[in-house]
Amino acid sequence: MKSVSSLDCIIEISEKISIQNTTDTIKIDCSNDENNPIIDIEVEKSKINNRIYLECNENQDINATINIQIYDNATLEFVDETNYGRTTDITMNTAMRPNAEFELYRFNKFNVSTKNSFVHSCDLKTNCIFRDFNFSNGSKEMSNITKISLNEKNSKYIGSGVVIADSTNCKNQLDISHLSQSAVSDSTFKTVSRGKSNVTFQGKVFVDNDCSDTVSSQISKGLVMSDESKINLTPILEINNDDVVCSHGAASGKPDDTVLFYLASRGIEKSDAEKLYMQGFLSEFLNKIENVQMQSKARDYISQNC
Amino acid sequence: MLEIKNLDVSVEDKQIIKNLNLKIGPGEVHAIMGPNGSGKSTIAHTLAGKPNYLVESGNVEFKNEDLIAKDPYERSLLGLFLAFQYPIELPGVTNASYLKQILNAHRKSRGENPIDAGEFLKILKEKSKNLNIPMDMHSRFVNAGFSGGEKKKNEVLQMDLLDPSLIIMDETDSGLDVDALKSTSEAVNKLRDGKRSFLIITHYLRLLEYIEPDHVHVFGDGSIIESGDKSLASRIDNEGYEVK
Repeated sequence: MKSVSSLDCIIEISEKISIQNTTDTIKIDCSNDENNPIIDIEVEKSKINNRIYLECNENQDINATINIQIYDNATLEFVDETNYGRTTDITMNTAMRPNAEFELYRFNKFNVSTKNSFVHSCDLKTNCIFRDFNFSNGSKEMSNITKISLNEKNSKYIGSGVVIADSTNCKNQLDISHLSQSAVSDSTFKTVSRGKSNVTFQGKVFVDNDCSDTVSSQISKGLVMSDESKINLTPILEINNDDVVCSHGAASGKPDDTVLFYLASRGIEKSDAEKLYMQGFLSEFLNKIENVQMQSKARDYISQNC
Repeated sequence: MLEIKNLDVSVEDKQIIKNLNLKIGPGEVHAIMGPNGSGKSTIAHTLAGKPNYLVESGNVEFKNEDLIAKDPYERSLLGLFLAFQYPIELPGVTNASYLKQILNAHRKSRGENPIDAGEFLKILKEKSKNLNIPMDMHSRFVNAGFSGGEKKKNEVLQMDLLDPSLIIMDETDSGLDVDALKSTSEAVNKLRDGKRSFLIITHYLRLLEYIEPDHVHVFGDGSIIESGDKSLASRIDNEGYEVK
């Protein structure tokens, strides 16, 4: 196992990484020739924020597994800003010990002619918080699957997905299992579908029968910007306990012509008005990102890709 | 400034405006009064170019150009401003960012560079102060959660910012309390410079007591049925629209 605490160090694939009291950026280089590298990351007890940047070679196929262990009271911020140029198949497995905090930010652009898959399973123990924010443009064939297990009481998941599709496809699946009492989940999915895009979202919330005092909210919204684009939003709730506060909402549609006319009446051309409309639609939830630096990155991502 | 000749307008296959004629000169303030459903707001939205408002016949010249042939955004860039009766909400976009964007759209059309952030802030502070608009309103999303008074003040702020030649006010007085009506009217009066023209659409006399019109027109069944000076507005207020 390699202990890391220095700035910008490169970590070899298949090497086990142990992080403690790291405040600097660590880059993980996935650009070697291994067919299926496994990256193991352990975050030890620390009240100091640890941050990892995932850096991948955009000119190589990526087929990797990332295993993350965040120990008691430890925190980890994981940021992936890669522009993926080739096929990707990434599996992430995260185990959070009591009182751990995990923030995952993915601001990715994919080559529209590639196939991409991201599967993340995350288990949360007592008092854990997982903040999960994912921004993507879709690709020829993209699958984005996140499975959350709120295993112990007072565990909390806050997640948002944004897909800005332009003649791309993206299949999104979010499964949240409330398996203990007093757990909280709050998820938002927003997408803009342009050109010949096809975006689907299936959000499932499962509440087990002994999970009293559960609070869950799920919102999914889509904006259809062309006649040939499609959006399919499917909320699924399976509630097996009466002592819960669970809400969900799903809506998709075309832009409101009244708003576009209002913007035009102020001198804004149609294409710019539509861009502003999309930006507003996608930016509505950004205050959920408490991390100011990441909120700014999210705003920039939306602005650059609308 | 604006000349409407023999204008017929249909909305969803129903003729609303019928053979309307109206001429507004530079610096003039015209008021259109009329009962519900008489076509007052239709003329406002037709001039601004709202989609689905179909001009069947007639023409409109604005600054010697064919207004009807232009897209809505081109009409704005030419100097026409419509203050909405119900200003639209734009969640996710802060008011400051929106105001800067519409200002830059007009600057671009004049061949100017986008405004510097510092300069914009200075202008925004100055114009907001004139309207008693707190600066923190600009960090909120456009019109989202604004009170009726705040929305109307935001409309006046936009007309001040964009410096149009013709301002059409579509029932700006609706939803305003007495104090808000007074302060909004005072702000509008500051924009009266003898060159800029106004077309004020209202049901009631009270707005016209603050913004005195040069000409008052009474609308009925899609056209002007009577014109006069500001005394006509007082008569309508006393007698109603039914008695002529």
